[in-house]
Amino acid sequence: MEPGSAKRRKIGHSRGGESAVGNIDAAASSGLSRGRAFILEAEELVDEVKLDYATALEGVDSLLHKIKGSIEAIEAHDALQIAEAATKLEKKHKIPIPFPEPRPSDKSNYKVAFAKPSQFNVVGSYVSKTMIKAQKSHAVDMVVVIPGETLQEKDYLDLRYFYKRAYFLGVVAAALQKDLADDGELSYEYLNGNTLSPILSLKPKVEGEKKEGQLDYRVRIIPCAPDNFFPKSKLHLGATLVRKAGGDESKAATKPTPFYNSTIVSESCFFPYLKLLRQTEKKCAAFKKACILGRVWLQQRGLGSDMADGGFGHFEWAVLLALLLQSGDSTKGHAPLSTSLSATQLFKAMVQFLSVTNLSEKPCVLGTATVESETTGPVLFDAVRGLNVAFKMSNWSAAKLHQHAKWTRSLLNDSTADQFTPTFILKADLPWQNYDLIAHLNYDGKQDKTEPIDCRGRLWEYSDKVHRVLKRALQDEELGERARSIHIQLPKSSSWDLTKKPSTKQNHTIEIGVLFNAANMTRSVDRGPAAGPSNEEKEECAKFQRFWGEKSELRRFEGDSIRETLIWSSTSPFDLCEEIMRYILKLHLRVGYLEDELTFHGDGFTELIPIKPTDTSVFNAARKAFSSFEKDIRDLDDMPLHVRQIAPICPELRHASVKVPFSTVNKSGPRPLECVISFEASGKWPESIVAIQRTKIAFLRMIGDLLERSKPGEVRSYVGLESSTTTNTELENLAYLDIVYESGPAFRLRIHSDLEEALLTRQSHDKTIDQHHRHQASVLLSNFRRLYYHLPLHTQSINTFATRFPAFSPTVRLLKHWFSSHKLASHFTPDFIELVALQTFLSPYPWDAPSSPSVGLLRALLFVSRWDWRSEPLIVDTNSDMPSSERSAIATRLEAWRKIDPLMNHTVLFVATAQESSGVAYTTVNGIAQPSKVVAARMTALAKTACHVIREEGVELDARRLFVPSTKEYDVLLHLSPKAIKAVSKVYPSEELTSITAAKSSSGSKYKNLSATAGEDPLPLPSAPVDTFFERLEQVYGSGSSAPLVFFRGREEEKVVGAIWNPSLGRRGLKVNLGTSYKPVKAAGKRKLGGDEKDGEEKEEKEEEQLVEVNREAILSEIARIGGELVERIEVQRE
Amino acid sequence: MAPSPQTIGEFSVLPISIPPVPSFPRNVVHYLYVRRNAPKIPTANDSRSLFLANVPVDSTELHLRALFASLVGAGRFESASFEDERKEAEAIAAALDAAPAQAVRLLAAHGKKRKREDQEAAERAEEEAAARLPSTWTRPLRKSGSTAVVLLADEKSVHQVLKAIAKVHKSKKYPTWGGEGNVVAERVPQLGSIWLKAHNQLSYPDRDQLQAAVDAFSTMFARREREAAEIAKRLRNEPDEDGFVTVTRGGRSAPATRNEAEEAKKKMIEKAEKKKQEMTDFYRFQMRERKKAEQEELVKRFEEDRQKLDAMRQKRGKFVPEA
Repeated sequence: MEPGSAKRRKIGHSRGGESAVGNIDAAASSGLSRGRAFILEAEELVDEVKLDYATALEGVDSLLHKIKGSIEAIEAHDALQIAEAATKLEKKHKIPIPFPEPRPSDKSNYKVAFAKPSQFNVVGSYVSKTMIKAQKSHAVDMVVVIPGETLQEKDYLDLRYFYKRAYFLGVVAAALQKDLADDGELSYEYLNGNTLSPILSLKPKVEGEKKEGQLDYRVRIIPCAPDNFFPKSKLHLGATLVRKAGGDESKAATKPTPFYNSTIVSESCFFPYLKLLRQTEKKCAAFKKACILGRVWLQQRGLGSDMADGGFGHFEWAVLLALLLQSGDSTKGHAPLSTSLSATQLFKAMVQFLSVTNLSEKPCVLGTATVESETTGPVLFDAVRGLNVAFKMSNWSAAKLHQHAKWTRSLLNDSTADQFTPTFILKADLPWQNYDLIAHLNYDGKQDKTEPIDCRGRLWEYSDKVHRVLKRALQDEELGERARSIHIQLPKSSSWDLTKKPSTKQNHTIEIGVLFNAANMTRSVDRGPAAGPSNEEKEECAKFQRFWGEKSELRRFEGDSIRETLIWSSTSPFDLCEEIMRYILKLHLRVGYLEDELTFHGDGFTELIPIKPTDTSVFNAARKAFSSFEKDIRDLDDMPLHVRQIAPICPELRHASVKVPFSTVNKSGPRPLECVISFEASGKWPESIVAIQRTKIAFLRMIGDLLERSKPGEVRSYVGLESSTTTNTELENLAYLDIVYESGPAFRLRIHSDLEEALLTRQSHDKTIDQHHRHQASVLLSNFRRLYYHLPLHTQSINTFATRFPAFSPTVRLLKHWFSSHKLASHFTPDFIELVALQTFLSPYPWDAPSSPSVGLLRALLFVSRWDWRSEPLIVDTNSDMPSSERSAIATRLEAWRKIDPLMNHTVLFVATAQESSGVAYTTVNGIAQPSKVVAARMTALAKTACHVIREEGVELDARRLFVPSTKEYDVLLHLSPKAIKAVSKVYPSEELTSITAAKSSSGSKYKNLSATAGEDPLPLPSAPVDTFFERLEQVYGSGSSAPLVFFRGREEEKVVGAIWNPSLGRRGLKVNLGTSYKPVKAAGKRKLGGDEKDGEEKEEKEEEQLVEVNREAILSEIARIGGELVERIEVQRE
Repeated sequence: MAPSPQTIGEFSVLPISIPPVPSFPRNVVHYLYVRRNAPKIPTANDSRSLFLANVPVDSTELHLRALFASLVGAGRFESASFEDERKEAEAIAAALDAAPAQAVRLLAAHGKKRKREDQEAAERAEEEAAARLPSTWTRPLRKSGSTAVVLLADEKSVHQVLKAIAKVHKSKKYPTWGGEGNVVAERVPQLGSIWLKAHNQLSYPDRDQLQAAVDAFSTMFARREREAAEIAKRLRNEPDEDGFVTVTRGGRSAPATRNEAEEAKKKMIEKAEKKKQEMTDFYRFQMRERKKAEQEELVKRFEEDRQKLDAMRQKRGKFVPEA
């Protein structure tokens, strides 16, 4: 480092990113042992995406020759005044010259000439054969070197070179249009969106039918300057080269023009870079493959060479990699990367490098050079060629690159996750899966009176300013960073017709994406610098005030500190962000006065449930109520056994219910929060399951009595009987205790007895009892474990994650809402849905954990749509320390299940967590797979459709669209009557049963009830009436694969229930106990016998020919009779 | 609708017309399959009972009574027993019986029957009924497609019913479910919302009633346990016909509970495991072998990965970056 120069820095070659290089070896060497699969898959990917150049770009060589010939044939002419030459050309060929802005004035003295190009060459990925199939567009780049004699050394100043270049291009365009009109379509476009460098593009015409594998490609004709034509010393980043911009010399001359300078340098760097890449290719065998991998990786993240894509694409990747592979000429002689590394190792090393180097924060210099550290914007300086390779990048794109590299690195370090798919296959740049808030800012160029300094255009400078302001407002570390990233998407430049002028559209829409830091975005009070007497503090405060304007006010905080403070009025993260953005953009950029100037997207999802910022406190209140309930029980004096634990098991007590707890919309009885209680081990339990169940009833009654006595008037308790779910009612839990506090909360308690488990385990292994009973015991045992072990543990872990990830709870709620909107909710256990949501937080690759519910939901849907549950288990690593041996054991278990049960009648979804690795506990209820295969397939199909919509709609996505159910697919629709449901939901303890069972005078008894129950509170409900009804129907018709009708229903207030006839129940012979209602059908072969002469001939054939089929109408009629008033209408959509 | 066959196998097909319901206003035909009752274990009443398959889910005895009255006139129908009711009763009895399971098994093993079985049966049934928990439903539902056995007045009625069924096919006048004008509906508890509402209430039975059931159960359970213990004790001392004495649990020392036995077993396994662990890597050859095995494992895993990849290649698509 040069002594005494604070601004200038000298960074040695090998120190380009010292920490990066240090880790590269580690990353590279660990490649072989760890990610075997990753290496193999990457190889496969490279093979897969490779182009077959012979067929894909057929005829390109002859086309290139033709172009070359045509350009060579252009007649040279001597220098002319630029304006004169331009008008001449325009008149003759009707082709305007694509001069960059500001256009040369008519009076300017510049002279332009044309001479035969000194060199032609084909450069870029066509030469290095690193194109891939999935590229957005394929181009073959041909550079045409403007002969040195038509240029002057001083041309680097004031766009002179670019005027000459534009003229040269105009002449070439005119010639090509004349000669090649039949070969293809010519148009102008900007090279990588850089308005200084227009180029010609030729899209060849396709003759006849397109062949298999043939691509739509174009040939780009790029004029450039001869190598080393301009003196490099004059073109350093800090130089001011556009001095006369806009004619106002005195003002503009002071600021450096790094972008302009770099563009000039890049103009004469095509050949040096071509040489560099060719050399590296020769030296390093894996270089090409590493470039292909890099290209795929960048493309999936929406990064590209185009300025609108961030200015970091395949070319920049290749150059950076080549530079890292080069043994430096001047350094200690060894390169940061060895040329003997494999493609995946190189790729990992690059990711590692990019993840530790933030180009916009610290200039990165490769080689020995000095760089003005003052220059704003990202710097990746190639000392040998003197070019800032990252000159097309912006601060935000550098941040994006850095962030994605960091995410990918953490993925590549996570040996347990699937590394390949998120790295290369997933499309990671969809707006809603990336940003929590997206704002559209309308930019009106006519209003913008600022003078552009550099040559990136006003829009770019405006955006840069927006970015700087927002970064300061939202990413201030002193205040606590609110946003993890702010990204700006600029409109892309497009090609334009030869005969037209480049578009001068003034109105643009800038897209601003903000990724929240969920922990800080909810803050509504910002504490700025302390107001103190010292000068430093005063200065700080003044700075703060200058930035924040009148919003900043002084406030006194605890500990007598007085600080500059910002008070925001919104409460939810989204609204807060919107408020801040609106305020600060208005203050600094004078935007936002008009409503439509700034529009915000992204809060559509939270409005659906709705999710309010106060919800967390309601959930916490429920938890608190539970704690006090627990204390009340523990405080009971006369309990015969010591209470070991009371554990909650319901979604309300783990921040995961769609509706917040205690939200009694209708006036039904209280919905109790479910808990289980376990006692110290005791030998007093009888050694019989039946007896244990009865003892539990007595025990519950006693707890209820004790509670009522200890809190007279505050608590009421009811012992309720379980409506049985399996057939043998005597072996399973029989009763529960409902405890209703006068203050509101109600709890439901079930007793855990460890002896019960031991007895069930013994029974399920007992070889002396018959198969049926053994199976029954094992079903009961799994129910038991679910209720008393898995659910309490699950509740605990979900609670932990709800605190750890602020966006987790709302994500779960949204996802549950999605499931129930599509009438799937009844087929899934709530814990399963929670685990799916959790997976997107614990294994968020290729991103980071979501920080808002909308992003969480969309990523969860993406996960569901991609989850191949037929062959993959869902492993939620809740303790984040699951060894890979355990993972493979789980996978093996799934394989085994699939072998035993290939049709997936018993096991469908396979979900394992750290606490529960059997894989079926969350997806099996009463021994039946929840969901069944059909429903699981429907879930995947729906999620796929949703993801498709998300992708199609982009930013304009209307959240409600994802939640609109379709009822077309159902064979039958049951319309429920909300009135009847409401009537059932209210039951009073003193209500005389006889009055409601006496069927005749139901209206009379209704009034009697009212008078009898005045002042009484309604009983708690065993379960919602609709749930009870359908549970009952399931009991009657069976569930799983043998049921004739599969019901699809969502939330309890949903009025329409869909149903589909089970297609697997076809015609069959009659036997006793077919399990559903059957009607006789005539077998096909018997049709020819007339109906009358049946008796005589039928006898012999009857046995095998007389079949029966499901009597659908009779079943529907039965349902109608059972449902009574509850079912308003049964609509048969398909017979 | 095509004319339905009169019989399928040994079943006579009895079509029943079901009146339309407001929410599903269609005339529906339900098919009941009827044959003479011939259970595997014959009983005295078999000759005058009929076996019905595929009874409607909302069947009650009154429904069947009305149905048979419309076929052969009133007075022939005696009673009906439904499959699930029968099963439930059996299951409960079995569960209660299995309570002191040990004793029952001992008895079975010993080939002895309990004395005074028949006398006790009635007494036991009464006991069990008292111990039963109150039902939470005002009216039970039958499982779809389940069966029932109908007891008629005499053998002649059975014959008449079957004949009447044959006639129904000829006349095409199907009997109506719930009797003409659905008279039965007035006399049985209503389904629908009232039924659900009643369930909500019945789920919270009267405390004393509940306590009584539990108490009745515990007395019964305690007595049977005692009986079982006695039997066990007796068996301990009594040689069977062949002169063998059954070895039973609970000798002179206090009987070990099964839990303790299981725990002891667990401990033993743990101990063995610990010992095994101490002995690994003790000799050099053990280490060498282990390393060799690890290497083999690595190679195997590599091969597995290859295979997996091949499988994925089969599927295609996996390696194409999403557009």
